[in-house]
Amino acid sequence: MSVLGWALPFLPATAGGLLALCGRRADRAAPAVAVVVACVTLALAVVAAVTRPVVRAPFLEGLPVGMAIDGLSAVMVVTVAAVSLAVVVFAAGEMTAARFFGLLLVFVGAMLVTVTATDLVLLLMAWEVMGAMSYALIGFWWRDPDRVRSAGIAFLTTRAGDLGLYVAAGAALAGGGSLALAGLADAAGPWPHVVAAGVVAAALGKSAQLPFSFWLSRAMAGPSPVSALLHSATMVAAGAYLLLRVEPLTAATGWAAWLVAWTGAVTALALGAVAVAQHDLKQLLAASTCSQLGFMVLAAGAGAVAGGAAHLVAHAAVKSLLFLCAGAWLTSLGTQSLPGLHGAARRDRLVGAAFVAGALTLAGLPPLSLWITKDAVLTVAAEESAALYVVGLAGGVTAAAYAAKTLVVVLRPVGTERPGRPVSVWEKAPLPLLASAAAGFGVVVLWWDAWGRLTGDAGTRAPGPGGLAVSGALAAVTMYAAARLAHRVRRPAVLADWLLLERGVHRLVVSPVMGSARLLARFDDTVIDGTVRATASAGRRLAGITDHRVELPLDRIVRDVGRGVRGLAALARRPQTGQVHTYYAQAAVLLFALAVVVVLAG
Amino acid sequence: MSLPAFLLLASALFAVGLYGALSQQSVVMVMMGLELMINGVVVAGGAFWHHVAPARPDGQVLVLVAITVMALEMAMGFAVVTALFRAREVDVTDEAGDLRG
Amino acid sequence: MREVAFWVLAVGAVAGGVAVFAVASMARATFALLVSFLCTGGELLLLGLDYLGTLVILMMIMEMLVMAVFMVMYMMNPAGLTPMSMVHNRRGATAVAGLTFAALAAGALTTPWPERRGLPPPDPSRALGAAVMGPAMPVMMVIGVAILATMVASVVLATAQGRYDRDGAR
Repeated sequence: MSVLGWALPFLPATAGGLLALCGRRADRAAPAVAVVVACVTLALAVVAAVTRPVVRAPFLEGLPVGMAIDGLSAVMVVTVAAVSLAVVVFAAGEMTAARFFGLLLVFVGAMLVTVTATDLVLLLMAWEVMGAMSYALIGFWWRDPDRVRSAGIAFLTTRAGDLGLYVAAGAALAGGGSLALAGLADAAGPWPHVVAAGVVAAALGKSAQLPFSFWLSRAMAGPSPVSALLHSATMVAAGAYLLLRVEPLTAATGWAAWLVAWTGAVTALALGAVAVAQHDLKQLLAASTCSQLGFMVLAAGAGAVAGGAAHLVAHAAVKSLLFLCAGAWLTSLGTQSLPGLHGAARRDRLVGAAFVAGALTLAGLPPLSLWITKDAVLTVAAEESAALYVVGLAGGVTAAAYAAKTLVVVLRPVGTERPGRPVSVWEKAPLPLLASAAAGFGVVVLWWDAWGRLTGDAGTRAPGPGGLAVSGALAAVTMYAAARLAHRVRRPAVLADWLLLERGVHRLVVSPVMGSARLLARFDDTVIDGTVRATASAGRRLAGITDHRVELPLDRIVRDVGRGVRGLAALARRPQTGQVHTYYAQAAVLLFALAVVVVLAG
Repeated sequence: MSLPAFLLLASALFAVGLYGALSQQSVVMVMMGLELMINGVVVAGGAFWHHVAPARPDGQVLVLVAITVMALEMAMGFAVVTALFRAREVDVTDEAGDLRG
Repeated sequence: MREVAFWVLAVGAVAGGVAVFAVASMARATFALLVSFLCTGGELLLLGLDYLGTLVILMMIMEMLVMAVFMVMYMMNPAGLTPMSMVHNRRGATAVAGLTFAALAAGALTTPWPERRGLPPPDPSRALGAAVMGPAMPVMMVIGVAILATMVASVVLATAQGRYDRDGAR
């Protein structure tokens, strides 16, 4: 079964890579190819969820990498494949670029690897590929510099969080010598704390929890299918999945579980309030995504793995549905801001009905899925601390509020019907399926024990009827009140601007970094470069001095030596008169001298 | 007739011949000086033979060689003068200073 | 008797040598040289070297006659009708010659010459001949070759043109 284990992620990744490489040439065939690949991937995912393959591969000495599909991974794999298929079908009606489908499929492959990886190395690699694909897809229309800047901000923020995973990998290696996800809690000494800190940082960054939430607002600059797949259902959920996966580790290091739970709860409440204050539908849905992810993170911190997984699945269906509807309205009505979407639900009945179903589910209205799953999480959280329960409940109230806000806007009967472009059949096809999945997933509560065993959280408590009643009633009351009071309440600027998170990060982190970079650049230019240039000019000056002071005297010395030698040579030439008698005389004198020497010596 | 007397005679002949070789401009006169010098050598050779080792013929051989050298030298000298005169129409050594320098 | 003859011949030889460079006429210079050579030959005869003495006298007579011919050819004042003194560097030459004579004379007079070893053979000429034909044959051979070489060289130097020049090849 190892072929299946490899084929499941690498089929979409390879197909996506080929599509992206072919570029413009494959534009005609790209949508069809992508849809086919997504279908096959879904089929493979279902088969894999049933057969549970395990694959292994050697990586470094003593560090094998591998993927395994256990219960939680099976759930994730099927969810990811199904939502990807829905989004690809929708995109087939909207986008025409092979590059888009290629990048999307590569992302799907990376996500599948992330949810099946059994060790930190493979997880890290797939994590990075996801981040890269997110950057590429948010900035897909790269000719617009604003979108590219937004893509850069999103990428940098998540990447900053990903450093935690690197630290965790190093600490895991140092502590236990192994990078397997299952054994992270077994390391000795302080290493589990370091690992937990790194993993928590990376997961919170990827899931856009506080204080990282602002990047999800920026990510809305990408096309609607991207928002539907990456930034609602799958990539941002990867952080929550990771926290669910390493729940034993966070539970072992008590402070990590506490931190994770409270971060999730506070994010759920605060970002819910931010969502209420948004004017742009996609921004509202983004803030809502952060808030709902807060619930999943709270579940991971509190130890409610089953509830968190259920919420993840339900939210994936709901949010992708809502984003696809927003995308359909964007293409047909040309706007995504709430004031422009008055009565949008009444234009195209199918899209409108799907959106209403999704919004009602999002509000937490009984008997829809999110009501059940949210309460599953809150039930376990209540066992941890009552404060957590209250904050979570407040978060649910905000969800009801912003869902009601959207419904009020899109359901308002509008007198003059503005003609909108018709929504293509591709775009409409996946909506009913997603709506039914979104609404109907609540039935999982009837098989809660089996679900708990499936997700590795056997013996988890099912949501109690008391809690369910409380949250359901709160949701209904809040919806009614929000619908009534929508126009009376002014929205605070802090909430509208996403709690000023981006500005704060800019001032606290970005400006100092850029300032120090400028300082270092100036240092480089003046000191280091200056030293080099000064050395060069000093060398030149030294050469000039040498030329004047040293070269000339040396030259003079050499010339004098030459002149002296020439003089001596002239002297030596004097006896060569050419006259015979001179030579005779010289010979006679020399012989005389020689005779004297011989006589004296001998 | 003692050896020193002969040697004195030989020295005088040699000195006169040297004076002539060094001071004369004409090639022929220079050659006469050289002949006188060899003359002195001949006298000295004979004297040595007679007064030192008359039993051996080496002294006589030396005198013979000196006489032969005299003749050869004169022959070569006149040939050179002839060639020089033919080339430059001069017969004084001062004009043959090509080796100067 | 022999002593007197020696000194007379000695003075004659030196005087003849000096006269060579003192007279103005070329013919006279030649014959002065001849006189010097004759005296030298006489000295050799006094020493008992009959063959060598006779050789010197005969050779020098022929040589001087040849030299007289050349003198007349090459010197502009053969008869000595005008006083002529073609000298250069007279003072230097005198100094060098004087110094040489002084040194040689001093050497001749002061050196302790070795004792006479053996007696002259009854016929020195025969002894010379036997030596030249025997132990000193290389001397004879070298002299012969040298004479031949001189003959060839003097002819080569003295000819005005070689056989290659006759046809105007130069």
